[in-house]
Amino acid sequence: MIELKGLTKTYAGKNVVDNVSLTLDTGEFGVLIGPSGCGKSTTLKMINRLVPLSGGRIILNGDDVTELPAEQLRRRIGYAIQSTGLFPHWSVAQNIATVPQLLKWPKSRIDDRVDELMAMFHLDAAEFRHKYPHQLSGGQAQRVGVARALAADPEVLLMDEPFGAVDPLTREVLQAEMRRVHQQTGKTIVFVTHDMDEALQLATRIALLNGGKLVQYDRPIELMVKPDNDFVREFIGQADLGLKLLSRRWVHQYQREPSLEHHATHPGLDHCWQLDDAGRPVALEGARLDEDHEVTEVKPEWTATPGMSMKEALSRMVWYRVMVLPVVDDAGKLIAEIGMQGIMGIQAENGTQAS
Amino acid sequence: MNGAIPGAQRLRAASAGNRVLGVLIVLLIALTLGMDQLEPLFRALFPDLGNPLYSRDSFLNLMLAHIGLVLMSSLISVTVGVAAGLFVTRPVGREFEPMVSSLAAIGQTFPPAAVLAIAVPLAGFGFAPTIIALSLYGLLPVIQNTIAGLGTVPQATLEAARGNGMNRWQILRRVELPLAMRVIIAGIRVSVIINIGTATIGSTVGAKSLGTPLIAGLVGNNLAYVIQGALLVGLLAIVTDLLFERLERRFSFGR
Repeated sequence: MIELKGLTKTYAGKNVVDNVSLTLDTGEFGVLIGPSGCGKSTTLKMINRLVPLSGGRIILNGDDVTELPAEQLRRRIGYAIQSTGLFPHWSVAQNIATVPQLLKWPKSRIDDRVDELMAMFHLDAAEFRHKYPHQLSGGQAQRVGVARALAADPEVLLMDEPFGAVDPLTREVLQAEMRRVHQQTGKTIVFVTHDMDEALQLATRIALLNGGKLVQYDRPIELMVKPDNDFVREFIGQADLGLKLLSRRWVHQYQREPSLEHHATHPGLDHCWQLDDAGRPVALEGARLDEDHEVTEVKPEWTATPGMSMKEALSRMVWYRVMVLPVVDDAGKLIAEIGMQGIMGIQAENGTQAS
Repeated sequence: MNGAIPGAQRLRAASAGNRVLGVLIVLLIALTLGMDQLEPLFRALFPDLGNPLYSRDSFLNLMLAHIGLVLMSSLISVTVGVAAGLFVTRPVGREFEPMVSSLAAIGQTFPPAAVLAIAVPLAGFGFAPTIIALSLYGLLPVIQNTIAGLGTVPQATLEAARGNGMNRWQILRRVELPLAMRVIIAGIRVSVIINIGTATIGSTVGAKSLGTPLIAGLVGNNLAYVIQGALLVGLLAIVTDLLFERLERRFSFGR
């Protein structure tokens, strides 16, 4: 658990962080967000004291961080940054082992931990262990950076715009991985970004800052449907609020039994799936926007998985002009379907169209 | 497959470099130990000279004395230079950086002969004034490259080192020095090569070196002596330079 109490940072007489107080429970994924210069990075860096505090207190699991020796404190806190900051003269394995080595773990324990982390981030140990940072792609380097931050099993993980410098495709993959790693490890994470979509993807708590002040601290959905003031409303953006809500919803929450025969009388169910012997969907009869009852071949590009966000599912429906997507498991077997009705259901459930 | 071709080229280039270095080292040792064997050659080239082979001292002695001068003065240059470079890049010494840089630059602008002339009344003739002159003269490249090398370490790398809980000493030893080492060694390389050449002037104030036959040849109008001294100094400088090149490459970390 991290508690910020009246946290303040003054540069040249100006409060860049101004009396910020918030509490992040163990296991939460907290995102600090706001426009440039709002003090989000400074706030993050005060937690591991890379930036000294001007006022206020930070309590990490009961300990006041200013009362611990700085190096000892930082070895309890994982730290990942935008440009990765990997040590260019060390191999991937050595980089990941940075903090365990400082903590003087025995070699066998370090080796096991490095293997474990490389497996967690889907980096093939045989291929990557001995590579140097300049031999990695941006996405791979960032994975190594996060693995290094997690190496000594820290109490908290701090991440300063870690995915800001990678291309959009890689960023999406890394965000999905980060969500999985958070679920797997249950780590308390403090994450800085200026990208609202990223915050909504990852956060369990969002702290919106402006001009050094905390504007609103809430769950992502609350932030969207109950903004405290116009600044929050404006920062989240009203135009695609519906889509943002969808990015917090997952296919498995709204999927339904697949229709395996025609229900001509039931609007929206006037379609059915054709399966192969292994139970994989091969074709869809009907449910096209334009051609009724046409048989459409199922393509991998417009299948959904239970873990996919509803936003992505909707995007696939629109792009491939189908009213319903097959939901398949890892083996490609049809386990459910997700349709436009599912998406509209989300709106109904929330009810409150932010006024 | 893409990376295989340049890799193979690099290997071939490296093995060709090894052969050149090997040949030069053998030549240097052979000439140092067996210059006498070339007496007929020098006699044929300079028929007017009564004594075309320098024989007041063995070339091995001169070579060892020369290397001794360079080692001693470079040791001082490197110790003082790296220490000064480290000091002015730490928070405590940062304000001294302009002063140290310009002092070292001023040291470089004095001709070594002038430094010798100043050093002789202070330190007498022979070894000591030469060491003083060479040490001062070799200081600048070491200081400059130490500062420059430490400056090439990326800010993000330093922030990560701090953020991962390294203390100042660990950051210096594990991160800054290894990453700056290539540039620092390049500075040491320049300093040592300058000193190998400049050490010959030490003979004018009585320090034994490969400059002794050179100076004797110039004074006595004996071109053969000059060639013998210059050949050995030149070879020593080239071999040392190639050895430093290989040392630098060790700190490139595959870049």
